[in-house]
Amino acid sequence: MRVMMLSEQDARKLRPSVIAGLIFVLGIVLVYVVQLSLNMVLTQDAYKLSKLMAEKRQLATEVQIIQEEVDSLASPQNLADAANRLGMVANPASVLLDIRSGKVFGDPVPADPDETAVASANMVANAALGTVSEFSPSTIAASGFDISVAIVSDADSALALDSGLIPASPTR
Amino acid sequence: MGTHAKLTSRLTAFVLLLFVLVGALGWRLVDFQVVRAEEIQEKSLERRSVTQTLTALRGDILDSSGQVLARTVFRYDVNAAPKNVGPVFRAEDGVVTEHSVEAIAMELAPLLGLSLEELLPRLEGDSEYANLAKAVGAATYNAIRDLRVPWIYFDQFSDRLYPNGAVAGNLIGFVGSDGTPLAGLERQFNSCLAGVDGQEKYERSAEGVRIPTSNVVTQPTQDGGNLNLTIDSNLQFFAQQVLADTVAELNADWASAIVIEVETGRILAAAEAPTVDPNDPAATDAGNRGSKIMQFAFEPGSIMKSISSAMVLDSGAANEFETKKAPDRLQLEYGESIKDSFDHDEFDLSLAGVLRYSSNTGIYAFGMEVDEKERFNYLQDFGFGTSSGLNFEGESSGILRPYEEWQYADKYTHLFGQGVSVTALQMGFAYQTIANGGVRLDPILVDSCTGPAGEVLYEPNQKGYRVISEANADLNLQLMEKVVEFGGVGKTAAIEDYRVAGKTGTAQIREGDGYGERYAISFYGVAPVENPRFVVGVTIYRPEGVSNSAKATPPFKAIMQQALKHYRVPPSTTTSRDDIPSNRSGKPGA
Repeated sequence: MRVMMLSEQDARKLRPSVIAGLIFVLGIVLVYVVQLSLNMVLTQDAYKLSKLMAEKRQLATEVQIIQEEVDSLASPQNLADAANRLGMVANPASVLLDIRSGKVFGDPVPADPDETAVASANMVANAALGTVSEFSPSTIAASGFDISVAIVSDADSALALDSGLIPASPTR
Repeated sequence: MGTHAKLTSRLTAFVLLLFVLVGALGWRLVDFQVVRAEEIQEKSLERRSVTQTLTALRGDILDSSGQVLARTVFRYDVNAAPKNVGPVFRAEDGVVTEHSVEAIAMELAPLLGLSLEELLPRLEGDSEYANLAKAVGAATYNAIRDLRVPWIYFDQFSDRLYPNGAVAGNLIGFVGSDGTPLAGLERQFNSCLAGVDGQEKYERSAEGVRIPTSNVVTQPTQDGGNLNLTIDSNLQFFAQQVLADTVAELNADWASAIVIEVETGRILAAAEAPTVDPNDPAATDAGNRGSKIMQFAFEPGSIMKSISSAMVLDSGAANEFETKKAPDRLQLEYGESIKDSFDHDEFDLSLAGVLRYSSNTGIYAFGMEVDEKERFNYLQDFGFGTSSGLNFEGESSGILRPYEEWQYADKYTHLFGQGVSVTALQMGFAYQTIANGGVRLDPILVDSCTGPAGEVLYEPNQKGYRVISEANADLNLQLMEKVVEFGGVGKTAAIEDYRVAGKTGTAQIREGDGYGERYAISFYGVAPVENPRFVVGVTIYRPEGVSNSAKATPPFKAIMQQALKHYRVPPSTTTSRDDIPSNRSGKPGA
């Protein structure tokens, strides 16, 4: 290896261009900045995704809690008990109306708690029964039933529907 | 040495040193990046990556209207790491407060259903695991999680919930604590209900956050299908209520009721009492955790006479007007005798009269007119002695010995329901045959199995079998109607405004070599006669102090009436045939 002594002019010619160096450095910085920004966005999204997934789990848990409450309230065991507490007795006598002919089948007979063969209170086990129907004491007191069938003849109270159709029963 | 030479040698040494250093680093770099690259990459990935099992959800079991009878829910085991147990710091309104272990335990104890004395010892020690509660519900899980106790952690697992409890529990069956199906439809249709767990692999950062774009699902999850039953859970509940009441009143071993839709062979209710609540099978005796309707065969007694009369009509041995002498006791040539259930003078009975008075001697007189082989073939065609095709777990075929093996009493006792054993399911479908114009249908309990996207994965392949002619089936039903119209006990099965046909049965129960003192009482019936919609069959096993079927008609009536009301069947507009003889003198009328 040899070390050469050059004139100042030659040395200036061989000196690297400051502008090219600056462009090179700035280019590298720019690439790093873009990469950093991309990483930040992706990382941020990762945290957001993680948070949303936790929220989804939380919501699914809440749905399950509510679903179990609905299941319990809708169970026949709860309905039978609730009906029984309100003094309701199943009426085995059915009265049907033929809409086309207007003919009534059967005679309306009041339900008799002493005659019915069915115990209205629930007798079927359900260990999943959690939430049950609750009534205020005044509701239960007001349910003291009178053993008679009230025939409603008030035409104004009749159900009037624009479509002319009878709505489907919401009972499942 | 001059200054220039000294400079040159130092520079040479520096450059050499630089080369050595760069070379060493380069070699290390090549070692890491090329030679051991794969090994290092694997180790790194192993540290970052997590493999997670994605639990597939077991499908629901639904009734005919889509009401959920079984669903999958998540439950949680609550655990603590005693090693880390310590005071909990909570920031509330910007103020950090310290809560002692005792204070936290007081918050936890009621949620876990434990007393403080039970909970505190579990939080002591150096272990990293102590179970505090098993299988808590989602509400409890949420409440405990909201306490933000860092040394409490949860294990989530899927569990089975039966929202309607014991409603159809005898059919649905149940699963074990580990999710293994142990009984009923849960077990029989496990291939439909069970899903296939998936597996997910992804990379996570040091903080446990998933690294974007790194997740790879190695195996997708396949959730289980839904099982759609023909059972109407409202009717099923009603029938179970009636039976529970009956069993309690009569102190019977058990009672069962089956409701069949005549035209389709769909089982709308198959109720039993007592029965199992699948949420808590251990609370029920092992003997009552199955389905007696499918699994228990018994000697049916006089309910079989309706089948015998159908055989007599269809074989042409007699018609509805012919009569036979029917004494209250008949001595047979080989030393045996047949006796009616009550003392009476010799009656002159038609087939309808035989059913009305439930005369054993009368059905013997008519039935023996039919050839043994022919009777056996009829019994087989009605579905006795063979499995129903439901393939319900543990289903009984009953006992019907081949006619070649019939000896002495075997040759005739089947005519009044002795010497053969049947399930309530078989008897129900024998009555369905008569009600359905002589065509027996395969029973249907499961309508379909549908996949998560609604695609049908299973559908029963129902077949129908012509057993007797339509005319004879209809005629036989009219004969059975006389039981409800005039029969002593049968009259109590009558439903106002509807034409009902049926037959009582009071069967003795074998105990050792003979018969015991208690009975299996039944009533199987059809309504409305002019356009049969339902068969309802009720059996009460070993009621106390009961020696006739009078106690079987009230539950039959209640259940049939409920079915007619529930399905809005209009009352009958026709009346029974008044020319059919059914009284003791072989004449029509009372």
